[in-house]
Amino acid sequence: MGKRQGGLYPILFLTVVVLISVIALTVTNDITEEPIAEGKRQAIMEMLQSLFPEMDDFRYDEESERYTVTADGTLLGQAFMAQGVGYGGPIDILIGLELDSALRGIQIVSQKETPGLGAKVTGATFLNQFVGQEAGTLALTKDGGAIDAITGATISSSAVVKAIKDAVLEQSGNNGGGE
Amino acid sequence: MQSVKESFTNGIMRANPTFILLLGLCPTLAVSTSLDNAVGMTAAFLFVLLLANIIVSSLRRFIPDRVRIPTFIVIIATLVTLVDLMLQGFVPELSKSLGMYIPLIVVNCIILGRAEAFASKNRVVHSIADALGMAIGFGWAIFIVSLIRQLLGSGSLEFFGVHLFTVPGLEENPAAIFLLPMGAFFVIGVLLALFRWMGVSESE
Repeated sequence: MGKRQGGLYPILFLTVVVLISVIALTVTNDITEEPIAEGKRQAIMEMLQSLFPEMDDFRYDEESERYTVTADGTLLGQAFMAQGVGYGGPIDILIGLELDSALRGIQIVSQKETPGLGAKVTGATFLNQFVGQEAGTLALTKDGGAIDAITGATISSSAVVKAIKDAVLEQSGNNGGGE
Repeated sequence: MQSVKESFTNGIMRANPTFILLLGLCPTLAVSTSLDNAVGMTAAFLFVLLLANIIVSSLRRFIPDRVRIPTFIVIIATLVTLVDLMLQGFVPELSKSLGMYIPLIVVNCIILGRAEAFASKNRVVHSIADALGMAIGFGWAIFIVSLIRQLLGSGSLEFFGVHLFTVPGLEENPAAIFLLPMGAFFVIGVLLALFRWMGVSESE
């Protein structure tokens, strides 16, 4: 084929290819870092709005890792992240709480569940069941609760339930109210 | 040497990557649970295969044989990561729907297979034709597998939120096994048998 085979050529060639690749990736990462972070902030805002449609501003408290959601300066409720251990990996959940600590609603931020089965935890049918529930008594119907698990995806369903329950309990502990 | 037209039509049926070459079955089986996934995967596949084929083909005179596989892998992995970052940064909407398929492309050995078997030995025009043909072949294959799996596994057919139709009796008790990996093997096994029976086989 007339290609230079011997000596240092293959080594040099591969080194150059890898160098070009590293440069390309570094440059692209620098360019896209900002828009990606901005996109994530935007996505959080949209997520919060899906739980609190009337909101117009939110504040993030780094220490308690909580979002405080307000409309015209009036407190609407709180939101925070929880992570469940699903079938395919971590499930990140955004939890919205009313002022009286009932669940305003939940959103699945990211998940790696089986498409068509566990991935249905992102569907409205499953998520809407949580609205108005008291987090402390949250459970699947098979455990005497009010949340119907997704057919064929009990692990994913109970991962979400457990994550919410644990996170809300932990957060109310953080309040220092001694609840 | 093959004509450009032959390079194009080859992948559609005669050397179909999924049904005949049996390449890249892992990601194919993993995501072929709904028609939406099939379309998303095909789009991501076409994009990466086209770029990989063009780059490998234009560099083919310089790539030393002894390090050709590592070179292909570096090129493909870099491309996939670049595409992923670009999509996330500038078209987050598209990234949301395609995002999960992009990493799967890295492990899709059709891309590496075409780089090795075709692009590294053929001219750029032929390699572009090959990428387009392979993408069409991959597309209809994953579409059929997804169609069967979604239909039997969920009892109804939806396409990007539009409800197409419902199978009576199957909606309430869907055969969820078809959405699981073993269901994928059932479907692809039956389809492979069907194509062999019809006498379609690789004639290269």
